[in-house]
Amino acid sequence: RGQDPGEHPSVTLFREYLRLKTVQPEPNYDVAVRFLERIAAELGLGCQKVEVCPGRVVTIMTWQGTDPQLRSILLNSHTDVVPVFEEHWTHDPFEAFKDSQGNIYARGAQDMKCVSIQYIEAIRRLKAEGKRFPRTIHMTFMPDEEIGGFKGMQLFVKRPEFQALNIGFALDEGLANPTDTFTVFYGEKCVWWIKIKCEGN
Amino acid sequence: CIEESDPWWKAFSGACRDMHITLKCEIFPAGTDSRFIRAAGHPALGFSPMNHTPVLLHDHNEYLNERVFLRGIEIYTCLLSSLASVPPLPAEG
Ligand SMILES: [Zn+2]
Repeated sequence: RGQDPGEHPSVTLFREYLRLKTVQPEPNYDVAVRFLERIAAELGLGCQKVEVCPGRVVTIMTWQGTDPQLRSILLNSHTDVVPVFEEHWTHDPFEAFKDSQGNIYARGAQDMKCVSIQYIEAIRRLKAEGKRFPRTIHMTFMPDEEIGGFKGMQLFVKRPEFQALNIGFALDEGLANPTDTFTVFYGEKCVWWIKIKCEGN
Repeated sequence: CIEESDPWWKAFSGACRDMHITLKCEIFPAGTDSRFIRAAGHPALGFSPMNHTPVLLHDHNEYLNERVFLRGIEIYTCLLSSLASVPPLPAEG
């Protein structure tokens, strides 16, 4: 499906991940976890699964540093994506169609399946070059970010498995920038989740 | 925007400087998982290496160009090399 022999393998893997329907409100998380487990095995990375609540699994891939006493680098991303109004799309949002300009259309292309695969492919390259670093690098793949993280990261940070990661510094998603510049976020607005109940009359 | 003396920021921004990347520091306009990471006491930056790209998250026809995507892998290769090599901090003995 859409296999272009001239395509960069990292792009092919990205498009494969975009086709997994981890779309809210009923994301297929099982298929994403299996995909990630396969990659961990391919890369020879440790893989741990933590079910923070029923049906909500956090997948952790670990590349051990040469000095595991040091605090680690956390590369976090979420596996779920927001819903679509398919009638407004020029291409199927879960087909990962690539046009002649190289634009890949999919729900999750920016938010944030690109980043998950970029983390993975960067580590694949560094490992292939024989690089080793003092600090351990963990990649965490989180469910439910798009609905507040209440059954994802919010529970995960309370777990002993999170403590055991011994994090020194973390990266997570940002946003696109239409100019030549890259945006980096060092904080975020405080979010208030409000439930509104409307009764008809 | 962030303290130059912070070793993590030094590693991150230094790697970007080496790649001739211009950064714009902002406060994220919504909530992400990093708020829980920060609340747990760990410094975190929000960064997705997408320039020359319209902001289309949660929108119809969300897309990313494959060249921007591939450049992002190179950027992480450099960032990770720098971050995972930050020398032991005072608190790490
Ligand atoms: Zn996101």
